[in-house]
Formats: sequence, structure tokens, C-alpha cells
Amino acid sequence: MKVEIDNEIIEKIKERIKDMDEFDSVEGYVDYILKQIVGRLEEENKIKVDKEEYSKEDEKKVKERLKSLGYLD
Amino acid sequence: MIVIFAIDALEYNLVEEFNCKNLKQKYYGKTDISEFSQPRTMVLWSSFMTGKNKEDDVLEDGNKEMWNKKWDIKETFFSFFENPVVLDLPGFSYDLGFHGKSRILLKNFFETKNLEKKENLKKEYNKDAFDHHRKIKDKFFKALGEDRDFVLGYFSVADVIGHLNFGNKVIMKMIYIELDEMAEKIKKNKRVKSLIILSDHGMKAIGRFGDHSEYGFWSTNFKDLKTPKITEFYELIRGIKNES
Ligand SMILES: [Zn+2]
Repeated sequence: MKVEIDNEIIEKIKERIKDMDEFDSVEGYVDYILKQIVGRLEEENKIKVDKEEYSKEDEKKVKERLKSLGYLD
Repeated sequence: MIVIFAIDALEYNLVEEFNCKNLKQKYYGKTDISEFSQPRTMVLWSSFMTGKNKEDDVLEDGNKEMWNKKWDIKETFFSFFENPVVLDLPGFSYDLGFHGKSRILLKNFFETKNLEKKENLKKEYNKDAFDHHRKIKDKFFKALGEDRDFVLGYFSVADVIGHLNFGNKVIMKMIYIELDEMAEKIKKNKRVKSLIILSDHGMKAIGRFGDHSEYGFWSTNFKDLKTPKITEFYELIRGIKNES
């Protein structure tokens, strides 16, 4: 898959990576940035799933049940 | 020796799902606790040891006071025996200090809005439950090595951990494997003639949490009990005591 990138942005990236040893091309840099973003999105998603599993609604239901079973006052 | 491995909230469906062969023994099934308005731990164990439906008596001073209830040995089938050991059983030899602390942690867990604090409270709550489990387990296996005619060990770990973690299969499986290994160890003990494994009620998931289910689990190495009421064990135990 090919992606078009603005010339202006390419110039800025070239300028940015010129003194960086870890990137020898614009493609390499773009690839790195995209991986970082996708990774972060995945992390955020995971946290969202976790929070959903401990949902407010479940918590309310369980609290009521624990009260009627005598575990909470 | 007659032994009762009493497990709070051991769920029939999970015993099947994880195929806990030792917990199932030769005969196993569900108990009928439909005569009770709610599957309350204190009510169920009280009714078990006295052979009478003790719901009204247990609840007479309210939900909070019920944990302090204690039955005289003369009212229970433990009195049939010469040198019985009954460990941590609600309504008889219950460790109010530990179980009280556990309920305070549970209360704090639900009152805390901060997710990180919640997570830490849960960790402490789980850790306490496992520590207490190990303590009772040591006493239980020590008693099984002694010259006793009756030993009952009550284990609350599946219930305590289950209330906050039942939706987490990894933790629950770990607990069921531990309980299954304990059952295996009990059965290997030559002193043990009759073994009854019994739960007061089972557990079902509410999201990540756990709630009591409306039946208990039983198993024996000597008789098919079909779908017994929890109050029927009183006479059953009298019977096997007289046979031995
Ligand atoms: Zn419970």
C-alpha cells in the first residue's frame, strides 16, 4: 500500500531525521510513528475494556446483593 | 474418621467445567436450598449443622448481627462424636477477626471511586483470603493426621475471592485446582473412611463480580444423595456414624 504525504511534511521530516542515527529514510520514520500511535490506541482500548468489565451498573447490582446477603451494611 | 470438606460457594458448573475429579468423588450433585428466602452463608451452615431450618433464628437480630451467632454443640451433629474438630465454620468456630476485616476491605472497595485505590484494595482483599486459606488448610491437614472420629474444615476462599473476581476465569480456575488437590490429598489419607464435600450455595457471574447461586454442591465417596436438602445431612451423618 502506498500513501501520499504532503511535500511540506516530507521536508519537515527530512529536516528532523537528518541528525538522527536510527532513521535513514522518511519511510522508516513514518513507519515508526504509525506503530507508536497504533500501539497507544490498543492500550487505550484495553483500558476501556477493563473499565467496562467493572461497570457501574454491575457494581450497583452487586452492592445491593452483598447487602441483602449480609456482607455489606 | 468422617470428614467434611466444607467449601463456601463451590459452584457445580465450575466443578464440571474445570473437571475437578477429586471434588466430584464417586457421587455428586446439587443441593436443594429453595426453602430459604436467600442463599445466605450463615443461615445455610447453621441449618446444616443443626438439621433444622435456622433462617428465622439467624436473622432475628438483623443481617449485621447474624455473623456473631453461635450454636451450642448440643444442638449440632458434632455432639454425636467423641473428639471432633470443626475449623472456622460460620455459626460455630468462625474466625470473626479475619472475616470481619475481609468485609471492611470489601466495603472500602465499593466506596472508593479512585480506580488505582480500588485495585490496591482488591489486591489486599485477595491476599488476605489466600493467607487465611493457607492457615486453615494447615490446621485441617494436621487434624486429619490425628486420632479423631470427625473433622470438618470450612474454606471460604472460593466465596471471598469469587465476589470480586468470579468473571476472571484464570483466578477462579487456580482456586478450583487448589481445592481439587486438597480433595485428592484427603482421599489419600487412610484414616478417612467417609468424605462429604459440601458447599452452602454456588456462584454466578455479574460481569466481573460474583453472586450466590440458588443451589449448593455435594459429593460423597459412599452414597448417591440425589438432590438433598442441606438439613438432611444431620440424619445422614448420624447414620454413617452408627454404621462405623
Ligand atoms: Zn458469599
